[in-house]
Amino acid sequence: MDTIVAVATPPGRSAIGMIRISGPQAVRILGSLVRDEEFHPEPNRIVLKDILLTGSDETLDSSLVSYFKAPHSFTGEEMIEISCHGSPVILRQLLDQIQKLGARLAGPGEFTLRACRNGKLNLSQAEAIRDLINARTSAAAQQATRQLKGELSTALQKCKEELIQAIVKLESALEFVEDDLPQVQINETVGQLSRVVVRIKEMAGTFATGHLLREGVRVALVGRPNVGKSSVFNRLVRFDRAIVTELPGTTRDSLVELISLQGIPVSLTDTAGMREAGDRIEAIGIERTQQAMADADLVVVVVDGSSALLPEDEVVLDQARRSKHLVAVNKTDLPLSTRIDNQLGAESSVVHLSALTGEGLDDLSAAILKSFASVDSATVGLMITDSRHYDLLRRAESSLEGSLLLLKQNASEELVLVGLHNALKFIGEITGETTTEDILGQIFSTFCIGK
Amino acid sequence: MAFDELFDVIVIGGGHAGCEAASAAARLGAETALVTLNLDLIGQMSCNPAIGGIAKGHLVREIDALGGIMGRVIDRTGIQFRLLNRSRGPAVQSPRAQADRALYRSEMRTTLENTPNLHLRQGMVVDLVVRNDKIRGVAMQDGRRIGASAVVIAAGTFLNGLVHTGRTTYTAGRVGEPASIELAEALKRLGFPVGRLKTGTPPRLDGRTIDWAAFEKQSADERPVAFSFSTDEILQEQISCYIGYTTSNLHQAIRRNLHESPLYSGKIKGVGPRYCPSIEDKVVKFVDKDRHQLFLEPEGHNTNEVYLNGFSTSLPAALQQDLVRMIPGLDEVKIIRPGYAIEYDYVDPRELGPDLQCRRIYGLFHAGQVNGTTGYEEAACQGLVAGINAGLQVQGRESFRLRREQSYIGVLVDDLIRQGVDEPYRIFTSRAEYRLALRHDNADERLRGYGREIGLVGDSDWERFNQRRDRITKVKAALQSRRVRRSEAAYAAISATVSGDLGDSISLSELAQRQGITPEVIRQLLPSEVVSLSQPDDIQFALADNLYAGYIKAQEAVIQRIYHHDATPIPKDINFGCFDGLSHEMVERLERVRPSTFGEARNIPGMTPAALSTLLVGVSSPS
Repeated sequence: MDTIVAVATPPGRSAIGMIRISGPQAVRILGSLVRDEEFHPEPNRIVLKDILLTGSDETLDSSLVSYFKAPHSFTGEEMIEISCHGSPVILRQLLDQIQKLGARLAGPGEFTLRACRNGKLNLSQAEAIRDLINARTSAAAQQATRQLKGELSTALQKCKEELIQAIVKLESALEFVEDDLPQVQINETVGQLSRVVVRIKEMAGTFATGHLLREGVRVALVGRPNVGKSSVFNRLVRFDRAIVTELPGTTRDSLVELISLQGIPVSLTDTAGMREAGDRIEAIGIERTQQAMADADLVVVVVDGSSALLPEDEVVLDQARRSKHLVAVNKTDLPLSTRIDNQLGAESSVVHLSALTGEGLDDLSAAILKSFASVDSATVGLMITDSRHYDLLRRAESSLEGSLLLLKQNASEELVLVGLHNALKFIGEITGETTTEDILGQIFSTFCIGK
Repeated sequence: MAFDELFDVIVIGGGHAGCEAASAAARLGAETALVTLNLDLIGQMSCNPAIGGIAKGHLVREIDALGGIMGRVIDRTGIQFRLLNRSRGPAVQSPRAQADRALYRSEMRTTLENTPNLHLRQGMVVDLVVRNDKIRGVAMQDGRRIGASAVVIAAGTFLNGLVHTGRTTYTAGRVGEPASIELAEALKRLGFPVGRLKTGTPPRLDGRTIDWAAFEKQSADERPVAFSFSTDEILQEQISCYIGYTTSNLHQAIRRNLHESPLYSGKIKGVGPRYCPSIEDKVVKFVDKDRHQLFLEPEGHNTNEVYLNGFSTSLPAALQQDLVRMIPGLDEVKIIRPGYAIEYDYVDPRELGPDLQCRRIYGLFHAGQVNGTTGYEEAACQGLVAGINAGLQVQGRESFRLRREQSYIGVLVDDLIRQGVDEPYRIFTSRAEYRLALRHDNADERLRGYGREIGLVGDSDWERFNQRRDRITKVKAALQSRRVRRSEAAYAAISATVSGDLGDSISLSELAQRQGITPEVIRQLLPSEVVSLSQPDDIQFALADNLYAGYIKAQEAVIQRIYHHDATPIPKDINFGCFDGLSHEMVERLERVRPSTFGEARNIPGMTPAALSTLLVGVSSPS
């Protein structure tokens, strides 16, 4: 195994910059850096050391150095962390010097992968670290932390154990027909497998929300010019991001900001108002609006509540109706048009608000979230956030359903077992596989076999 | 190098592996010597006098389909035939037969003696003659040297065999027969990694001292199912076996005497099979069980000897006598031969290729217990594979191997050479991922063609096979084409017995998959000309194919996927540690070899099928 190195802090100028080295050469490299080949750092202690420039007696930087002894480190290998001053120049020079001393620049995520390979993390934990680093909101981070703690594997472990128990019973009945084994109680096995199905279903059911937590949702604000889209946008992003004037068509280009609605990451797009374009620039802007609408998970059609719907509003609404959408009736600070509620009668989701006063804004946030899932993300337990996990759970579920049906029809065990083994394989792709040997081992420890 | 005699192939050992190996090599045209310690014990059943059982029966039928001899011999000498798992699906049914032990031996010896090119030689092999990593022959204890370009070691439990009864131990290959100490040493000298396994056998009883009425009778099948596809009829008179039970008093007595057991005093170091535990193990590991099942199996028509199946033990002989008498119905019983445990050497089978040839020494093949397996059927099928390949190799022909999805033999060999063993290896249906396709009754369809190609299937057997296949094809066609229509009288009767609508008409193949439709119902609905030209087995066969058709189609897609991706490249810098669901062990194996294609990964010893499909998903997906 070679030794890898990387800067662990984000690029740019900062107070402190940290470099991590992992691998068998880590301690030797540190010795060379501090020009003391006999240097034996004490594990888990931070010491101040001068790092010297190669080929001179000049000090590059005074740094805090910590040593984590294998296997008690993040990667499970010998690890050194050097915290120096956060100048990009110092960091680059130090990195060069370490590479010359025999370390290789780490690939993306390589520290985590080494941790994974050395058994410090399982796969779903490693995936969780990736999610944690990339988490855009606190709720998403919380989910990643849960997964990192191994809660997904633990939750699935129970399903897996029950499933293996059922497999063991059915396999034994097939293989050891001449041994004096207890009769398989169909009802008991049906009950056992049904419990597994219910649990898997529950877990898969959290994906709708879990997926949002990780990926976030794309929401586009659309409408004819001058209904106050940009005002609504600024309210939601909580600062004056978009230029707001009374002139129709002020917003020429789409603006995108990332916000958090109750912990769910939302990528919010303000778009150019839709109308017959006045010039080429506006035409391009309107084209982008169409694009944003097509890309959005949810389209929010903003209309001006103080006037009846205009034909231009109808055009926008018609287009929005092709996808998931809701209507935001803006300007409740002005008298409400008498006709507008009637005109919007066919719409299932209508929110009234005033971007000027902020009234009704919470209703809009709630309506946006409600259109995806009604779960309060921060309070529920573990959620499935990865579409691969979701897919595997669904496949396990349908395999199990098939086996349950066969079992209830009194089909022969070898047929029932096909689905059970498949389900076990799918679950195993999340938690790690179960081999035939494992199952045989369970059989022999459960039943006294031996004609 | 002077040899006293020269052959093409030498087979060491006359047990179930050795017999198949010698017969196959000789029938392929290789001049073959079978060297055994005692010509009178060729084909000896060292343990229970029975062949077959779940999955093991499948092996015997596969051996027969390829042109091996075990199936024919047991068909002529079996005295209680039973098809196991009759109440379950056809894929997991399997034949089993109790053998007349002495008859089996003599029938096997006669079979070998009547095989052209096959030469029996009595004596003990003490060394292997190897030059430049090639086998040249063997050296015998009596000073003879026999030359050959291929050697099959099928020495069973004889390699460094050590028998235990109570605290007494002595070297032996089986009780009353010498162990092969020098040959075991020779293998170690050649650098083979050698381990130690253990097996055991129960006491044999004098049938005249058994109160048979105290036991439950288990009869033979009315209509015996033969092992060999060439057998027309089972001619041996069929006997019954008897079932009895141990008592908790007996269990206590065994527990009190555990200090007398070499298993529990630490004398036995070898690992025994978990699925064939000694009675000592049973009462210690399953304390809650208040009785254990036993079978009384008569050893033949012309003997009083009875095998006490389920009571394998290595307790002192005198104590065995007392303990056995605590079994209800055996109060007066006399033991003829005490049970014993035996430890023996085995060579790590990961040394072998799929042809069972050692990678270390060209021309040296290993088959049977030397590879860490247990069971006559497991031994025999390896003997067949080794014998075929030894015969092919000396004739300069291409080697022969079977794949997992084709046969239980393929599963067994693949498991051995990839995973190795850490306890005596026995076949189970659950070891075969594709077991629905591997039925005992379609072994001929799967393997007869290979047997013919290799040269072990004669003209009449081949003709017989083709006729059967044609008959089955006709039945299958009739199942598709014959539709039961609403206008028919039978329609109403069937509607009443099955749930769900049958529509205006329904084909027999669809109907057969409905709950409550028996094969007999289908037989009556088949056109009479089809029925009259087919045998009952043909219809069963066609219905079994029909039953599993959907599953097998899905399996075939999986299998296709595996082989079709052999050329799929694996990126040079791939990190196997990052694959979901790959165990630490699998990652290590991949890291060691760093395969550049999926096909290379597939051939890494120890890779499990599940790990391979995970890997495939990983290297095929764009991320």
